[in-house]
Amino acid sequence: MSATGTCEYQPKDYKSDLKPIWCPGCGDFSVVQGIYRALAAIGRPPHEIAFVSGIGCSSRIPGYTTAYGFNSVHGRALPIAQGIKMANPELTVLAAGGDGDGFSIGGGHIAHLIRRNMDITYIVMDNQIYGLTKGQLSPTSQKGRVTCTSRFGSLEEPVNPLLYVLAYGAGFVAQASPTDLVGMAATIEEAIRYPGFAFVNIQSPCVTYGEEAQQIKGLKAISETLASLGHNPADRLAAMDLAQHYGEKLHLGVFYRNPEPPPTYGDLVKERQALLSKDAPPKERILDLFIKK
Amino acid sequence: MATRGIDFANLSLKDALDLAILIEDEAQERYEDFAAQMDQHRTPEAAKFFRYMVENEAKHGRELTARRLQLFGDAPRSVTPAMIFDVEAPDFDAARAFMTPRKAMEAALASEVKAHAFFVAALPALKDVQVRALFEELREEELEHQHLVQIELAKLPPESGLSEEDFVDEPAPQ
Repeated sequence: MSATGTCEYQPKDYKSDLKPIWCPGCGDFSVVQGIYRALAAIGRPPHEIAFVSGIGCSSRIPGYTTAYGFNSVHGRALPIAQGIKMANPELTVLAAGGDGDGFSIGGGHIAHLIRRNMDITYIVMDNQIYGLTKGQLSPTSQKGRVTCTSRFGSLEEPVNPLLYVLAYGAGFVAQASPTDLVGMAATIEEAIRYPGFAFVNIQSPCVTYGEEAQQIKGLKAISETLASLGHNPADRLAAMDLAQHYGEKLHLGVFYRNPEPPPTYGDLVKERQALLSKDAPPKERILDLFIKK
Repeated sequence: MATRGIDFANLSLKDALDLAILIEDEAQERYEDFAAQMDQHRTPEAAKFFRYMVENEAKHGRELTARRLQLFGDAPRSVTPAMIFDVEAPDFDAARAFMTPRKAMEAALASEVKAHAFFVAALPALKDVQVRALFEELREEELEHQHLVQIELAKLPPESGLSEEDFVDEPAPQ
């Protein structure tokens, strides 16, 4: 209840008492604010939201919200999020983590979540570095990047998270950045509202190990909203074309939103259950199925 | 600094007051967060200054809330926190571990400048006379706050020449 007698949820209602221990200036501070605002706009009470993460600086994020949270193991946020969604389909399920957690250690899980199209929103805080472990190359580090594990520059091409998920057929793909807080909160909100798997890549600067060009000022210089380009988010091929500029330009907004969202895994499960339940034995006779007659 | 979905042309006095309260709330919360960050990162002098700013923002917030209650009582609020972003709150990347009190004050000064710019930019769109008067008053207050921070800045001794980056670990070879 607000001081003025209204009952709507406020961003503060999603903020936990735990103080973030990120480095001051970290981009993740604004990401968590964007999440609070998006959740307040959606208006579901915190106990109806489950927030799962892997390991990394950004994976601390569930603890900073009042939603149910699970700071799980490295790269395994998505399988756990899927389990939660299956066990309680009524929950709004969010998963979050860094680019290493999502595209290296947990890279194999994304494809399967996309093909199942479970109604989960996955927020990746992409800072192109392993910050928590003090600055090693991550899957999105650009080629030539000098780090403590690439003293003479990286020889590898970076993963393009946007193309990756678009190619697997994700129904909602967007990018945001702390350079545009309004846009970031709106994008997260839209992703959560999308009925199916939604992916938001957030360029979140690492102030300690990130390069100058990846800080807010540098990101602002290369950012452009997709709306200002006249991009039609229903056009998947145009989205893929724009996504190819990942790393050179920072396109903000919705790359792709399936105009006709297909049924989610949860919908299909319900449908299957309804179909099979007609001939299913009653609960008290389930064990009979395992007894030879 | 940004706004979302505010119709300045049709802003009522109640909504304008509520927006002003939200702006102070957001700034207060940001300074609280900054103070906590500075405590965690062994930067006590900046933390002390940010706490001073928390008090300032809270005081302005209380004054505006009292005025709102006097004029409109418990009438429901129709503006939301999602409508304002960083109007008076310092930018998230304005804080750094080991920042000097001068850097902390400069961050606050930049925020007051930003807030002043917000009220200046909004004024031409306002149609309601009372709302316009309120925004003019708030605009002038921001100038006053800038002046106060400048006075505090002038009292500081010169900087040592070290920056916060000098205290941050370099990536260590594995």
